[in-house]
Amino acid sequence: MPVTLWGHLFRHARAYVLGGVMLLGFQVAMNRIDWQSKACVDEIFSGDPRGVVRPASFMLGLAVIAFVLRLASRWFIFNAGRDVEYEVRRLLLDRLHKLGAAFYRKMSAGEIMSRSTGDLLQVRLLFGFGVLNMINVVFAFGSALQVMLRISLSLTAASFVMVPFLVVTTRSLSKGLFARTRSNQEAIGRLSDVLQTNLAGVRVVRSFALEARERRRFDAANEAYLHAGLALARLRGLMFPMVGAVASLGVLSCFFWGGRLLVLGPEHGGISQGEFFAFWLALGRVTWPLIALGFSLSIVQRGRASYARLKEIFDAQQEVTDGGSAPVAISGALSVRGLTYTHGDRAVLSDVSFELPKGRSLAIMGRTGSGKSTLALLLARLLPTPERTVFVDGMDVCSLPLSTVRGAIGYAQQDAFLFSTTVARNIAFSLEDPDSAEAMEKVRVAAREAQVLEEALGLPESFDTVVGERGVQLSGGQKQRIALSRALAREPVILVLDDPLSAVDAKTEAAILDAISRQAAERTVLLITNRVAAARRCERIAVLDEGKVAEQGTHDDLVRAGGIYALFDREQSVKHELESLGEAV
Amino acid sequence: MSARPGQTATEAKLKAFHEESALGKAYDIRLIRRLWPFVLPHWRWIAVSFAALLSMAALNLVRPLLMGEVVKHAASRDAALVMRAGAVLAASIVVQQLIGFVQMYALQNAGARSMADLRARIFSFLQRLRLSYFDRTPVGRLVTRATNDVDAVNEVFASGVLNAVGDLLQLVGIVGLMLALDWRLALIAFASMPIVGLLVNFVRKRSREAFRDIRTKTARLNSFLNEQVSGIAVVQAYAREAQMADEFDAINRQYRDANKASIYYEAILDAAIEMVSTLCIASVLWWVGFRGVGDHVVTFPLVVTFSQYIKQFFEPVSLLAQRYTILQGAMAGAERIFQLLDEPEVESESSEGGAPPARSGDARVATVAFEGVGFSYKPGVPVLRDVSFQVNRGEKVALVGATGAGKSTVLSLLLRLYEHDAGTISVTGRDVRDIARRSLREMFAVVPQDVFLFSGTVLGNLAMADDAPDRARAERALDRIGARELFERRPGGLDAPVDERGANFSAGERQLLAFARALYRDAPIVVLDEATASIDSDTEARLQVALEAVMENRTSIIIAHRLSTIRAADRIVVFHKGRVVETGTHDELIGREGMYARLHRLQFSGAPPAVASVPSVRG
Repeated sequence: MPVTLWGHLFRHARAYVLGGVMLLGFQVAMNRIDWQSKACVDEIFSGDPRGVVRPASFMLGLAVIAFVLRLASRWFIFNAGRDVEYEVRRLLLDRLHKLGAAFYRKMSAGEIMSRSTGDLLQVRLLFGFGVLNMINVVFAFGSALQVMLRISLSLTAASFVMVPFLVVTTRSLSKGLFARTRSNQEAIGRLSDVLQTNLAGVRVVRSFALEARERRRFDAANEAYLHAGLALARLRGLMFPMVGAVASLGVLSCFFWGGRLLVLGPEHGGISQGEFFAFWLALGRVTWPLIALGFSLSIVQRGRASYARLKEIFDAQQEVTDGGSAPVAISGALSVRGLTYTHGDRAVLSDVSFELPKGRSLAIMGRTGSGKSTLALLLARLLPTPERTVFVDGMDVCSLPLSTVRGAIGYAQQDAFLFSTTVARNIAFSLEDPDSAEAMEKVRVAAREAQVLEEALGLPESFDTVVGERGVQLSGGQKQRIALSRALAREPVILVLDDPLSAVDAKTEAAILDAISRQAAERTVLLITNRVAAARRCERIAVLDEGKVAEQGTHDDLVRAGGIYALFDREQSVKHELESLGEAV
Repeated sequence: MSARPGQTATEAKLKAFHEESALGKAYDIRLIRRLWPFVLPHWRWIAVSFAALLSMAALNLVRPLLMGEVVKHAASRDAALVMRAGAVLAASIVVQQLIGFVQMYALQNAGARSMADLRARIFSFLQRLRLSYFDRTPVGRLVTRATNDVDAVNEVFASGVLNAVGDLLQLVGIVGLMLALDWRLALIAFASMPIVGLLVNFVRKRSREAFRDIRTKTARLNSFLNEQVSGIAVVQAYAREAQMADEFDAINRQYRDANKASIYYEAILDAAIEMVSTLCIASVLWWVGFRGVGDHVVTFPLVVTFSQYIKQFFEPVSLLAQRYTILQGAMAGAERIFQLLDEPEVESESSEGGAPPARSGDARVATVAFEGVGFSYKPGVPVLRDVSFQVNRGEKVALVGATGAGKSTVLSLLLRLYEHDAGTISVTGRDVRDIARRSLREMFAVVPQDVFLFSGTVLGNLAMADDAPDRARAERALDRIGARELFERRPGGLDAPVDERGANFSAGERQLLAFARALYRDAPIVVLDEATASIDSDTEARLQVALEAVMENRTSIIIAHRLSTIRAADRIVVFHKGRVVETGTHDELIGREGMYARLHRLQFSGAPPAVASVPSVRG
């Protein structure tokens, strides 16, 4: 499917053509109705009043036909607009799934959401309302003009004096309207930012007695939103009077000039009452499409601009792409050779190498900012991994399909993100049939391993409790342990855990470490941590310092070596003592 | 909507959870009574709007008569009269539109202003909510109350739902006038009305359901997409893109289909109204021709007038379904807002008593004392039990103990972020409950473990409470902690931008800024929760310098994690399970052979600590 405006249009060409045909039919029917009404009026007032039955019956029939055609035209075209919206939204998620960290650093979640709602709305309006009115205005104009010109050229000219004004007025009004809608949205965006910061920082605000300052900030934002809203209201309120006033100019000149022509009568170059009536109906019929023309032009313009903004997401450079080779089964040996990774002009990792044979365990140790999380992300190609640096079973990860690499290397990230679904669904995230008894058993086992089973069972609806924004709030530690269960339930060949213990207490930590040790007996484990207590559970430890492997070896080797690791060990045993001081008494 | 075959119990449940009716009753007198006080101060706008609404309805009723007038004069072949009637008609249209503007603008003014007041009220309320409420409520939900929910209420004003009152009057007026003008013709014109009535009723009900469906589906659609964006790392790491896309597709499809249903109903209504005016005109003409002209009852102008009335009759009808939904949305929004405002957990301001104690920067006035203090976050789970200790003027006291021993709670109670349940806490000899919160908090400079930076500039973050930050003072503060060149090195120096939550500063830099903040504030008491995160050694050294600078000549309470900090303290208070188990100077505690002494011995004997000597599991 071509990702262009025309591509979408052609894809739904059938619906648009059918809708167009219906519109044409509708306008023809309306044209016929005008003529039938002329016949009626002329029969009544100038001919045989009883002769009205035929044209009046025709009118009734035509009205029903017009009803069906009008309904069908909207059905076809508006539905096509919704279909395009559906397509674009689907495409959007598809692209978002493929894009990596570089993209998400550039475009914030708020910005993405604003494009996927506001801009998508504009695109939908273009493909529905916009297209319908652009087609309709042509047919309506033709159909009404046929009536009007046949009746009187001069009256047509007189009635259409307002057309240019009407189009210009609606066009400029809708432009202004759009600009003010935007600034109104920006104003509420700023207001929620102020609130968000105030509430997220509520402790700071209170501890530092910043209430007065916060009040001023809020009042300013609230006031700005009020005024943006009123500015929009003024223009919106002005729209109908302006359009109405301009349109009434047309009605006025129609009645003025039409009146004169009526006075003359058809025999002296004027018009009959029936003709006047039909003309009036035709003029009324063409007014709305003309008003809509101004809006439609703006909708088309805005829709195109919005589409361009969506296209930035569609066309964003995909950093990580599938490797060419066929999917293979991975047995679990991992090796990193001379891995160097720079972000901007900062070297995050330089020349990192280590071997992790199948079924073994390795800890990557280092302070905050030593590059250990980046390393973990590079293994599963969650960042653009340089070619020929990371190998699984001796194969370059860049040459393998992404699904193979990520399926084999189970990476569990540091900040525990849970989806707003049930606890069970969160843990069973990677399982194919999350509701099967088998999956539930896995979920329970994983929860037990991650020391969260009892708490999960204690939730209002145990594993079926919905978590997240609208559900039950979990503590940071609970979230982290559920995220850990999710990683364990997946049972990957190579398990990569990025600091899974940052928010749990000492007792839970020990229990989780036991679980990790059991995992290490079953699969290849890579543990990212800054805790000696965790690192020493692994067979080997590699210490990262400023992006380089500073030392490697077993716990005992490294303690003896007296390097950075030994320093960590000393520092942390003191901390550990402080922490467990209570337990010791 | 029934569950799809094959849909599991969990799916049905989740669906119900996410699509739990976002709409309430369309009309709830209790809620309206509570909204009224916010609207009342702006009653002038409402009055103007209603007056305008009435005159508009009147003018609307007159318009078809004026049109008939024009045609009548035309028939009487008097050009001057035609001209005059035409001018009157045009003038009436213009005037009516102008009044329309006044009407809508006044209404929106009333709405926007009262909603701004409502938002301000919510904000004030949030500022007084107890912290325990924030502990269990996500921030996003509270923001939504003050933004989206208030906007939903405002829709009633902005979309002109209240104009339905005017529309109703107009409908009655039209029917009345038509009957008065020619009752037989009026009845003929209304002959097709029952059919239309049935049609409208049929469509209205379904269209309302479709609207409701769309609303809940929209919310679900956007929250799903939002979650995919914020959880993209998880989706990618677990290679679940295809499954997530499928799930999204189902929601996206439902959303599209709900919209298509609504398109269908709206199109029926729209086409029906177009049809009905033709039907009415045709039946009027038919009647006139068949019966009327003979005895001159019906004139051509009357036909024109009737046709126009018929057109005007159907305009408001088409808006009914939409207006009903807006009203429902508004009531649901109001319900949620008042639910929040009814939350009883607010800080009382009863303890406003007494002027704030003298604040001079003179450290000697500041003393802190805890006497038999008890506290629990959750009833039955005490966090502090009978805690007593004293901090004398200018003294540095370290609080030591395991995580969860109650140290941080001590700080929260001291600042009255939470209220203690038992005992007395006093500052400079006065019970904290007798000091207004604001005055109390102004006596403290807090350095939290997790530093919160506001988006703005470095300088703005240092000065915080000041609207006009004192640059020289900020520079001095940075100088004192030896970090001035570190921050001035950044592009922009002190005016360098700080991103949302200080994301563009490292943990160490944020800590340093917090120290500088405390110095800038120059409060008599410093309260410090030492950071536990490992940072690079260079920053570590800087922090040590900063710590000393901040504590100098001040009463200081520190939750200490580093032994160097503990040793620098004048006195040490050891916490264990919510109680104070030991207090004293370093030397006293060493001599006492208690918990602290044990720790100290372990640290300096150089032997590997016993707890840490568990052998690794394999190899």
